Amino acid sequence: MSAKRLQLLGITLLAAAIVIPAFVDSRFILQMLTLIFFSIAMTSAWNIPVFGGKMSLGHAAFFGIGGYTGAILYVKFGVSPWIGLPAGVAVSLLGGVIMTLPLLRLRGPFFTLATIAFAEVLRMIAIDWRSLTNGSVGLNIPFKPGWANLTFQSGAPFYFISLILAIAVVFIAYRLRHSALGFHLRASASNDEAAQALGVDTRRAHFIGLLWSSGLTGLIGVFYVFFIYVVEPNTMFSTTLFSLQPALNGIIGGIGTIWGPVIGAVIMTPLGEYLRVYLGTIQQGLNFVVYGVVLIVTVNFIPGGIVSLVRLKSSNRSNGSGSPSGATEAH
Amino acid sequence: MELMIQVLVSGLLIGGVYALISVGLNLIFGVVRIINFAHGEVLMLAMYATFWLNKVYGMDPYLSALLVLPALFFFGVLLQRVVVQPIQEASANMQIFATVALSLILQNIALIFWKGDFRTIQTSYAMSTLEVMNIFVSVPRLVAFLVALASILLLYNFLKHTFVGKALRAIVEDNTVARLMGIRVERLYLLAFGLGAAFTALGGILLIPFSAVYPTVGVPFTLIAFIVVVLGGLGSMSGTFLGGLFIGVVETFGGTYVSPALKEAIYFGIFILVLLVRPQGLFGKGKGTEEIGLK
Repeated sequence: MSAKRLQLLGITLLAAAIVIPAFVDSRFILQMLTLIFFSIAMTSAWNIPVFGGKMSLGHAAFFGIGGYTGAILYVKFGVSPWIGLPAGVAVSLLGGVIMTLPLLRLRGPFFTLATIAFAEVLRMIAIDWRSLTNGSVGLNIPFKPGWANLTFQSGAPFYFISLILAIAVVFIAYRLRHSALGFHLRASASNDEAAQALGVDTRRAHFIGLLWSSGLTGLIGVFYVFFIYVVEPNTMFSTTLFSLQPALNGIIGGIGTIWGPVIGAVIMTPLGEYLRVYLGTIQQGLNFVVYGVVLIVTVNFIPGGIVSLVRLKSSNRSNGSGSPSGATEAH
Repeated sequence: MELMIQVLVSGLLIGGVYALISVGLNLIFGVVRIINFAHGEVLMLAMYATFWLNKVYGMDPYLSALLVLPALFFFGVLLQRVVVQPIQEASANMQIFATVALSLILQNIALIFWKGDFRTIQTSYAMSTLEVMNIFVSVPRLVAFLVALASILLLYNFLKHTFVGKALRAIVEDNTVARLMGIRVERLYLLAFGLGAAFTALGGILLIPFSAVYPTVGVPFTLIAFIVVVLGGLGSMSGTFLGGLFIGVVETFGGTYVSPALKEAIYFGIFILVLLVRPQGLFGKGKGTEEIGLK
């Protein structure tokens, strides 16, 4: 596919996305698309540090911090969600600093392990700090529809919010990847020592990359809480749901690229929902078995994800090497 | 004061089991160099196996070790051959994905077959305690500690004095040189994974008389084992043993004096701290850990 045709395809899809709510009445389809957009945003935000080879399995931490901040401010203190949004981002950024500064000294699997531990600690704090979080019961967002409360009768507003969120996060990820920061991160991923020898402050690059990622994830978390009306520690800080899921989407689409997370989220979200609803009712847990098998097969046979397959076919400009961050993009 | 000693003793006893499970992980991590996120699921399977042998055949949990340990040994060998070997040369991130997927599969297979219920077994000795100078010691916990200690000593001597044990240590020390010396590295990988799984399974058997089994029971143990291995240092059995005891004590003290809900948060905090201050572990040889981190 040439760049022009890709552009055309993108514009067509975007136009379709904008007009869909006008024609589609099914709440189910709208809801599914909203989930897909949330998932695209989540995965793309998670993917930013992966440009530099830093893979977190603790992003539920930022998602939960953002969500909890928005919900606590609104439910406990009556603060408008529109103030909760920047507040959620701010607290997530703070969480990002707290996690990132010490953890940056860790490499590879130890970094990943420590991120899991970080999210788990937050989950336990959320369960334990009852006066603020209402413990494992969580907080319910009262249903008072209106833009001021960020709660809606129809599905359309959140459809558009999530669509804009997805586009914004992908755009930011794209800009970051092609900025000096992106090049520093990718240099660090392919050879950290060499990058440092050339004068790149790779620790600073990782730090900024992780901050972008944690802030955006926190923002998505606030919106998500108002989308599902409830905040609860075992959901918000769930390793399976919000730490593993973006990573799964990423690996299946192709980690460290721009379109990999998008493709992964578009394929895996409906598949996940389908498996959950259909297989889940036949046999609870079967959906995750299928998930796991898909993942092992992907890791073994297409470690570069779906994106690496598309590239191989479409152009000879790409290197198509399955390495997570070594893949180049056609400009 | 008495309470403090009581808490200390409880912590040391459970710490022994943590040490045993971590020794299993250390063997796998050190020899095979795989980041096995499905470690706790081996424990979970062993607990279920012991549970069902007791439930269906009325077999004593300790006696069932005769069946469960060989079974999980072969399960470990199978995992190494089927799941791990194909990704041995892949990047660390890919290995993490594959073993996380494996743990997801095993957890949910358990959920499918045995539902999410918390299951416990009843034994005549589950509630029995010994009293020494006003300190109460639960008998199954004491048994767990002693068996764990004995098996770690056994493994230590096996690694120290037998030919195969020395070969395994050589691989931990330097994989390439070991291969050059004519050690059949791939075969020993199978052995290490099998042994690691069996030690972990033994931990599960020792836990079942006083704790419940459910599909996600292994999750915290995976993290605990990694924490202990990092604390103790890769390839160091004595370090792992002390690390296990340390985590056990920290957990029970935190649970008693701070908050039961936060006890895990405390050792995760310690984990992050240790990783930062001494990523090569408190007692470890250092070299290996950093090499893994670099990969």
